[in-house]
Amino acid sequence: MDVIKDILTFLADNVFGQVPILIGLITLVGLILQRKRFEDVFAGALRATIGVVILFIGIEIFSGGLTSFQTVLASAMNTDPPKAERTLDGFLQDQGGTIALVITVAFLLHVVIVRVFPAARYLYLTGHLMFWISTVTVATMVTVAPGSNQLTLVLCGAGFVAAYWTLQPLWMRPLMRRVMPDDRFGFAHTSSLAALITGYAARPLGSREKHDTEKLKLPRQLSFFKDVNVSTALIICVIMLIGVALADDKVVGEAAAAMDAKLSPWVWALLVGLRFAGGIAILLFGVRMFLGEIVPAFKGFSDRVIPGTRPALDAPTVFPVAPTAVMLGFVASTVVFLACLGIFAAAGWFTLVPPMIMLFFVGGASGLFGNIVAGWRGAVLGGVVSGLILAIGQAVTWGLFEKTAPELATLADPDWYAIAWLLKAADPVLGTGTLWLVPVVALAATVATLLLVHRGDRRRGEDGPEEKDDAVAAGKP
Amino acid sequence: MALDRRLEILAVCGVGMGSSLMLKMTAEDALRSLGVDARVENTDVSTARGMSPDVVIGQGMHTEEIADLAPVVITISDFLDKDGLEAQLRDRLGEQGWLA
Repeated sequence: MDVIKDILTFLADNVFGQVPILIGLITLVGLILQRKRFEDVFAGALRATIGVVILFIGIEIFSGGLTSFQTVLASAMNTDPPKAERTLDGFLQDQGGTIALVITVAFLLHVVIVRVFPAARYLYLTGHLMFWISTVTVATMVTVAPGSNQLTLVLCGAGFVAAYWTLQPLWMRPLMRRVMPDDRFGFAHTSSLAALITGYAARPLGSREKHDTEKLKLPRQLSFFKDVNVSTALIICVIMLIGVALADDKVVGEAAAAMDAKLSPWVWALLVGLRFAGGIAILLFGVRMFLGEIVPAFKGFSDRVIPGTRPALDAPTVFPVAPTAVMLGFVASTVVFLACLGIFAAAGWFTLVPPMIMLFFVGGASGLFGNIVAGWRGAVLGGVVSGLILAIGQAVTWGLFEKTAPELATLADPDWYAIAWLLKAADPVLGTGTLWLVPVVALAATVATLLLVHRGDRRRGEDGPEEKDDAVAAGKP
Repeated sequence: MALDRRLEILAVCGVGMGSSLMLKMTAEDALRSLGVDARVENTDVSTARGMSPDVVIGQGMHTEEIADLAPVVITISDFLDKDGLEAQLRDRLGEQGWLA
């Protein structure tokens, strides 16, 4: 028996605990199942593995930039920088294997749910968010129930995540059908709650017909902002320079000297902003590299098991419908976020970090759905809602992840905050022993919802299965 | 005259992870139907600027920024429309004489 135990321990420590290797193996299996050629399987698995390694390097650089940013801003405002006992880098080293397994098990479970329940309709295919949602879920579960073993975390996390992937495109469906009347694909993005709030709150503000954003002409100068690398670097650099102007000279001097003794604090501030943006770019490059292999493998698998299912896709797939609304939402969310940053700093609260990627996608998506409902006023409202949720979410959620991966609070979408706080709110009931309630309740709620949706569809004469058959027929000319 | 090497195609989007990956898969399907030997990669606009592909595919918001990047720039508005993309590719690659 000892031999078996040794083998399992070895696998746990060296395979399931090591993300690059585990992701490489999952990709390998996915590509073999798709019967790709040997060289494609080999190169693909290796690319996925390198992608994860790059992701870790990016996070390390990003975290370093974040710490400098918070130190300077806290000094400028005479407050303490936010505390962090752990970092995202360390958390991924420890729990990355768990996260990779959550993604895989949750995806299989999600495929089963969509196969069994016609009302589920959409298959969640936004790869990078599959990764981040699993990360946030595992981080919250570790916070709520520290010391849980990997198997418990994987199964509980996967049950919860699969429920989210199934339900999120469904609660966006009423809004999405106004954007895409033919319902060819769903919306799979963690900005969904901000978009949903905007969709309902914008109703009294007017109508799209009267105030459509696409009749407006935005200044061309705004266009360089959509490059999130540029806008991240620019905004963080500007805030750093203001921070240095106001901060304690000694604090800034020491921080600058730690990078290079001869360095002027002003140039140091610029370098920190640029490294911060560079870190995020590297992080994204790593994620892109491993997703480029894993997502097609997942898609190939699900196409075979449930042919003709509608995919639920990333936010930018709807952006061409109203690009001006997207820009308006993005600009409004950035302005509101920066205003919050000023207010929070003046009040001595938490030092916010502008997450330009989230401001773009969450603000943009909310702006788009706001415009669909109420024209440009709706788009602006969407930006305002997004900016507020991101600022307040960041300030209150940092402490929740203090012992796991606090950076998850600064680079987060609205749904991440909702998931984290939902699980945290269940803490008094859960304790450490009853983590199993999470997937049980989540999946029961999912099944109940799907049965209700199915009945509703029937009553309206939109029968799920028949519609699905149509989709299958349409998919095969 | 067809191209004597593999065609290099770039699918772009804002961050280069989600929608450009969907677009890459749609493009690969379309190219398979056309029988074109091509390698499709997906990336973000910043990274794209440093590359020199034969064809760039993306939504208008991005392709207008990098219109000079490649001899063929294709603007799409629907990431899943394989037939539409196939028709555009057939026309545009044909113009360049890159179709067999």
